[in-house]
Amino acid sequence: MSENIDQYLKSEYSAGWITDIESLTIPPGLNEDVIRLISAKKQEPEWMLEWRLKAYRAWLDMKEPEWAHVVYPKPDFQALSYYSSPKSMEDGPQSLDEVDPELLRTYEKLGIPVHEQEVLAGVAVDMVFDSVSVGTTFRQKLKDAGVIFCPISEAVHEYPELVQKYLGSVVPQKDNFYAALNSAVFSDGSFVYIPKGVRCPMELSTYFRINEAKTGQFERTLIIADERSQVSYLEGCTAPMRDENQLHAAVVELVALDDADIKYSTVQNWYPGDAQGKGGIYNFVTKRGIAHTRAKISWTQVETGSAVTWKYPSCILKGDDSIGEFYSVALTSNYQQADTGTKMIHLGKNTRSTIIAKGISAKHSSNSYRGLVKMNPGAEGARNYTQCDSLLIGDQCGAHTFPYIESKNPTAVVEHEATTSKVSDDQMFLCQQRGIDAEKAVSMIVNGFCKDVFRELPMEFAVEAGKLLEVSLEGAVG
Amino acid sequence: MSDPMQAEQAHHGLQAQSDWGWLKDWRASAWSQFAATPWPTRKTEAWKYTPLKSMLGTEWSLSEQPGSATGTVFADWDRTVITLVDGKVTDHGALPEGVSVQLLSKATAEQRARFEQRLAKTLAGDQLFTTFNQALLAEAVWIEVAPETVLEKPLHINQVLSPNANGRAVPVRVMLDLGSRSQMTLVETFASESDGPVFINPVTEIDVGDSAKLTHYHLLLETGDVRHLGSLQAVLRAHSQMNSFHMALGGVLKRKDIVVRHCGSGAHLQLNGVYLPKGKEHVDYHTTLEHEVPHGTSNEVFRGIIGDDAKAVFNGRIHIHKDAQKTLAELSNKNLLTSHRAEINTKPELEIYADDVKCAHGATVAQLDKGSLFYFLSRGISRQEAEVMMSFGFINELLEALDDDPVKRLLRPLLASLFAKEDDLAGHLL
Amino acid sequence: MLNINDLHARVEDTAILHGLNLEVKPGEVHAIMGPNGAGKSTLGNVLSGRPGYEVTGGTVTYKGQNLLELEAEERARAGIFLAFQYPVEIPGVSNMEFLKASVDAIRSARGEEAMSSMDFIKLAREKCKAVDLPADFLKRGVNEGFSGGEKKRNELLQMMLLEPSLCILDETDSGLDIDALQVVARGVNELRSPDRGIIVVTHYQRLLDYIVPDYVHVLAKGRIVKSGGRELALELEKHGYSWIDEEVA
Ligand SMILES: Nc1ncnc2c1ncn2[C@@H]1O[C@H](COP(=O)(O)OP(=O)(O)OP(=O)(O)O)[C@@H](O)[C@H]1O
Ligand SMILES: [Mg+2]
Repeated sequence: MSENIDQYLKSEYSAGWITDIESLTIPPGLNEDVIRLISAKKQEPEWMLEWRLKAYRAWLDMKEPEWAHVVYPKPDFQALSYYSSPKSMEDGPQSLDEVDPELLRTYEKLGIPVHEQEVLAGVAVDMVFDSVSVGTTFRQKLKDAGVIFCPISEAVHEYPELVQKYLGSVVPQKDNFYAALNSAVFSDGSFVYIPKGVRCPMELSTYFRINEAKTGQFERTLIIADERSQVSYLEGCTAPMRDENQLHAAVVELVALDDADIKYSTVQNWYPGDAQGKGGIYNFVTKRGIAHTRAKISWTQVETGSAVTWKYPSCILKGDDSIGEFYSVALTSNYQQADTGTKMIHLGKNTRSTIIAKGISAKHSSNSYRGLVKMNPGAEGARNYTQCDSLLIGDQCGAHTFPYIESKNPTAVVEHEATTSKVSDDQMFLCQQRGIDAEKAVSMIVNGFCKDVFRELPMEFAVEAGKLLEVSLEGAVG
Repeated sequence: MSDPMQAEQAHHGLQAQSDWGWLKDWRASAWSQFAATPWPTRKTEAWKYTPLKSMLGTEWSLSEQPGSATGTVFADWDRTVITLVDGKVTDHGALPEGVSVQLLSKATAEQRARFEQRLAKTLAGDQLFTTFNQALLAEAVWIEVAPETVLEKPLHINQVLSPNANGRAVPVRVMLDLGSRSQMTLVETFASESDGPVFINPVTEIDVGDSAKLTHYHLLLETGDVRHLGSLQAVLRAHSQMNSFHMALGGVLKRKDIVVRHCGSGAHLQLNGVYLPKGKEHVDYHTTLEHEVPHGTSNEVFRGIIGDDAKAVFNGRIHIHKDAQKTLAELSNKNLLTSHRAEINTKPELEIYADDVKCAHGATVAQLDKGSLFYFLSRGISRQEAEVMMSFGFINELLEALDDDPVKRLLRPLLASLFAKEDDLAGHLL
Repeated sequence: MLNINDLHARVEDTAILHGLNLEVKPGEVHAIMGPNGAGKSTLGNVLSGRPGYEVTGGTVTYKGQNLLELEAEERARAGIFLAFQYPVEIPGVSNMEFLKASVDAIRSARGEEAMSSMDFIKLAREKCKAVDLPADFLKRGVNEGFSGGEKKRNELLQMMLLEPSLCILDETDSGLDIDALQVVARGVNELRSPDRGIIVVTHYQRLLDYIVPDYVHVLAKGRIVKSGGRELALELEKHGYSWIDEEVA
């Protein structure tokens, strides 16, 4: 049964082309001068440079984490270039009309609405190309509602009070090796501020694209939802197919003040490497949010790309009655490795968290869920529910679950369940007996397996995510 | 070389007393390994939640002679008993047919050769205190059960620390090799009558032969100023069955590393355990199920009630190797915290490299169920008593699953007295 | 013995009882019928003091005292017994332990001496027979793995052992086969006495063939909307509850 599926499916990474554009890329290597150069290119104020240097000095003393269930040659941090920008973007942010059409075509080709009059007009997009933001749509409409949505490099100039107050407040510079590196060299990313009581009138989204070879992308996103505000934010990522591994080390910080609600969705489709495990992105990301009283932070992620993923979007449930959610689908195929999960840190009373994680491993890949649920002494009446399921496709892959549960409060309730199974012959037979071909059957079964997570995605993303799974699974049934 | 536990003296002293070259080399290699291992810190994953500071500050020595102990815990029942006081065998009842026991300390030249082979193919994993046990090992009890033997009476290895054990490290090794198709019950108990700091460091190795059947109890009943750091390694051969029950009460620090390997296909493991730390006690169970071959089944259930300022750690790992297709493995860990200062850290882990398997684990930390509590109240039972009865029931579920045998009858009152601080609350537990 | 006056109650944020009145005198048997979700179980739960049920108005007097002031276990000791619609499973606690603890608590509240274990076991075995439960159910966990019918019989067993003065049976007849139904009826009838009140919640008139009630009430939307004698049950059987709706409206 399986062989015939193998035969007529072949795997294809559809976002793997290269944009032919002239770039200014600084020479490889990392030292204080490089950081000064990045800061100077962005004409940053002195405090920002100091902040970066502080992070860099801390980073020098830190070690790369070893505890994740992934094996890869350590990147040579001196062989990477830390800044690359399309030449046309050298003179800083421009209005959308002035952006190099070749750049915009890159995003159009990826199916991203770059013109405000397009069908998906309900979504505002920030486009980040290597180290710079090339354009942001719907800025005026958002501004009218009081919402700030702009590249973070711009926010440093325009909203220094907000940036100074919140940057590093959730993920401190020294939080971990990659966060420290990011803090030192971050180039661009999105900044969002939703004022008190405002419900953001449209979905916000950022598309990250790594184009240049031998560069790392270090984006930084900061979202602040003021009291009683609400926002839904989407993030998408792609990169060309290249034989070398490339590094992507991002930091995302979310601040949900009292009664605010932030929904953060990711469809991560960085280049995963080829069928032999050559090339692909190292995706080492730190994402964390802090929820104040009655606030809610919800992370949804669909992770299908990257050669190695190391990522734990987390919630610090600081305020009483705050809520944290994590919905994840992580699919690995070929030689991909993923070690992903979440941390829910319950500090406040009656805080609640839900974790639904679905891992699918195929071929030679390795897929781990790693999570922490922590009930601090003050977490009276707090609750957590965790469900982790793994699906194995083929006998060469691995699926692992490492949930840490720490409780110091007798009134807190934690429930964790995990299962591992395979797409059963019975399920396949049933589908086929009813005339459904094997390819369709697997994709149906896998989609069903992921349903609880897809439900959480904004509509247009849910469809995309389903398709992405199908593509990623191609040739995986063996 | 570092010697945080100040045991080097003890090791050298032991070496000096022996003329058995092989044994000395074996111990010496373990000592150098132990000394070369960095002392665990919070950053050492296997010891993340279990600090070892209570192991420091005492210069651990070995007992020369067994002290005198009353040995009243878990006594008086019909079994074949081997008693060790302070790590020395003091009582060795008549053995039933089909069972032979050899002691490392009394090995004849001929037996030494066999011991060397047995110890060399040690099943023990690479656990810090298993290495320590090897470095300071003065006594091993090696039990062999001939194929087809069916033992009527349980075999009881009764390890007691006397008041003389103060300041002593007591490493003992028990090895049980069950011949094919044999059947028996092994009861291991640990008790202490010492009032000073003691460190019991036992290693149990069990080889369950083809189609053999073992019922096993491993009960850490010591109380007081006791540290118990030990391990259990078991190997299951084809179609064998092992039903292993664990319990930890009392003590300053207890940690048991259990590793069970499915080495022959079609074996079944039932691994259950309870931990009940209170006061300032600390209990840690680290279990690993290695499914190395196809068609194995494992079911593991551990439950804990953690009170006062106590801490418990549970780490339950299920590892399905690449070839272990058709494995069924399940693990459940449930915990009750009964105080605001109590703490539980639990981590059930799955590591799976075969696709045609069914594995599941669950872990919970919760309070007593409110609906059940109301059922008690609605029948006029006081809240206090209801809580005692329900906590006991939470643990008793695992006792009930034991085969009906004397151990269960001995355990029940022991547990009952533990749960009810006042006698009348225990009234309905018996 | 029981006097409910304009009782209002809610669960979580939902108001369920809206001004319910009911009086039960010693020796009487009251049947309460009514559509699903009307609040019948809520009434039983409120009377027996289940946590989560909040009384927002009205009074309940039981044997001259304010019932609402008492804790759940105090109510039980004062003689109120609720046979649960959905009996709770308590794995690990044996039925025998549970029953003995309960009987001891209630006897001691009544100032009676504790029963010896021997006597108790004898009595429990006897009552098991009366409700047609094999005696080895006493050794099993409370309701653990019992079938629906067995759970109901176990409730009855408890009731017979505790000899309460006010019995509330919440759908004890649901899910019972015809033989079991007679067992329940026999049990209840045995307990019928001039100093005991009984409230039977049921959906089926056939139970009332065996336990003949003095009064039948219809509980709908959180109130008693109609009361009558046995014949009311027959009417309901014939016409359903919509008939009441029309009449009340
Ligand atoms: N914990 C709760 N939270 C919210 N609503 C509840 C809760 N418990 C009961 N209810 C609601 O209260 C209403 C009355 O429930 P109740 O159980 O008293 O009905 P009933 O008359 O016994 O019904 P049945 O004949 O089906 O047993 C129902 O609508 C029910 O859904
Ligand atoms: Mg009801």
